[in-house]
Amino acid sequence: MTTKDAIGRAVASLVLAGAALLGSGVAQAETRAGTPIVNTAGLRYQADGETRALESNTVTLLVAERLDVRLLREGDGPVGLAADTAAIPFVLTNATNGSESFAVTATLVAGGIAPLLAIDSDGDGRYDPAHDIAVADGATPVLAPGATLRLFALVAAGTVADSLVVTARAATGSGRAGSAFDGRGDGGGDAVVGPTGAAATVTVPLRTGAADPVLIKTQSVTGADGARRGGIITYTLEARFPGSARAAVIADLIPAGTRFVPGSLRFDDAVLTDAADADPGGFDGRGIAVALGDVAAASTHVVQFKTQIQ
Amino acid sequence: MTLRILLAVVMAAIPLVTGPLAARPAGQAARAGGPLEITSSMMVERRSAAADGTTRVTLVKPTRVSPGDRIIFVLAYHNVGTQPLSDVVLANPLPRAIAYRSASPGSPAPEVSVDGKTYGALAALRMPALDGSTRAAGADDVTHVRWRIATPLAAGAQGQFAFQAVLK
Repeated sequence: MTTKDAIGRAVASLVLAGAALLGSGVAQAETRAGTPIVNTAGLRYQADGETRALESNTVTLLVAERLDVRLLREGDGPVGLAADTAAIPFVLTNATNGSESFAVTATLVAGGIAPLLAIDSDGDGRYDPAHDIAVADGATPVLAPGATLRLFALVAAGTVADSLVVTARAATGSGRAGSAFDGRGDGGGDAVVGPTGAAATVTVPLRTGAADPVLIKTQSVTGADGARRGGIITYTLEARFPGSARAAVIADLIPAGTRFVPGSLRFDDAVLTDAADADPGGFDGRGIAVALGDVAAASTHVVQFKTQIQ
Repeated sequence: MTLRILLAVVMAAIPLVTGPLAARPAGQAARAGGPLEITSSMMVERRSAAADGTTRVTLVKPTRVSPGDRIIFVLAYHNVGTQPLSDVVLANPLPRAIAYRSASPGSPAPEVSVDGKTYGALAALRMPALDGSTRAAGADDVTHVRWRIATPLAAGAQGQFAFQAVLK
């Protein structure tokens, strides 16, 4: 190889590297299990008055599959058991750098009929027996790296107050961090247990009687660049009332570093003015508040507002 | 003192000299054939407790690496010819999944580059930003490292450079 060839190739790889940097600026993904890491060094020197170039040997490492899982309950506090089946939502995240299925279980601490686990097929956070199918053979479908799966634990009506325990374990294996499973990783490499132990457990206290309302706050940022100065964040506050409630109010402070966007307050798809007037909500300079008044059982209300990042 | 021990361990752990090069097909051997040889290795640190209570760090070939693991890249060179060689430059374009961190203890710091063209100290390099301006480059931006050996490399001379990186 001549020096000129080497330069030409260096320029070609430079263009590729630049493109990769732009692409990775949006989401820095972990290297997938099974990816070969290939390294070759180059050498240039002067001998007999001419420049010579050569390459080193090429060494290759296969990236192992690091098994990790996260399991979070949506909402907090005890869940009240009423006359109907209680569907308690969870979010399972495949924190592995490869594709993985997870064994999931739901049990009651005091024994009794084990709650069923169902997959929230449409991801709307509401249990719908017509669409949301039971987990088959105690395992989730195979999830892509970083993918999440919403699950419901279905606690049967008439269950005595107790605690619900939901667990998730990587199907390839779990246990002490660093435990290895030779050849069991994606792409023919090894699998190794990550810092989470590739297992997660969430315990939910249950009690009889109507459940407390649950407020779920989500946010979305406009533009593909993520949170930047001038970006608009839309906050959605979803209040779920399993039982009826009196004089309910949804209130939220505007987060530091952001400014409320005037006229952006909405309540169940109706636009509310910012002023304290006849409509049920407003913005007082520090936060928003919407008075729901008396709320019927098994109802859901949504408040939305926007802020701009300063 | 510590540095010298570390280097000695590295030398023992890496097959130096001709093995991989000699195994090349004839065409490549002719191209690579010359008085200077280079061997590249990817290693990981293994820590073990020594009898005197200190922690000993050795470099070993990795059995498995996963994102976040530290990898030590070692470049070993050897002038197997009979003449001194001048203007020796060892360069390592980084694999895409590798993020540069620093020179290894005991190794001279490499010159680094964020574009494969301009080399220098990391603090002196800048990156283009999306809005057309530039910003200071960071270790994550490094795409190439290289070492230039200032004085002619005598016949029989050998040595090695090493840098630390992280698997993204």
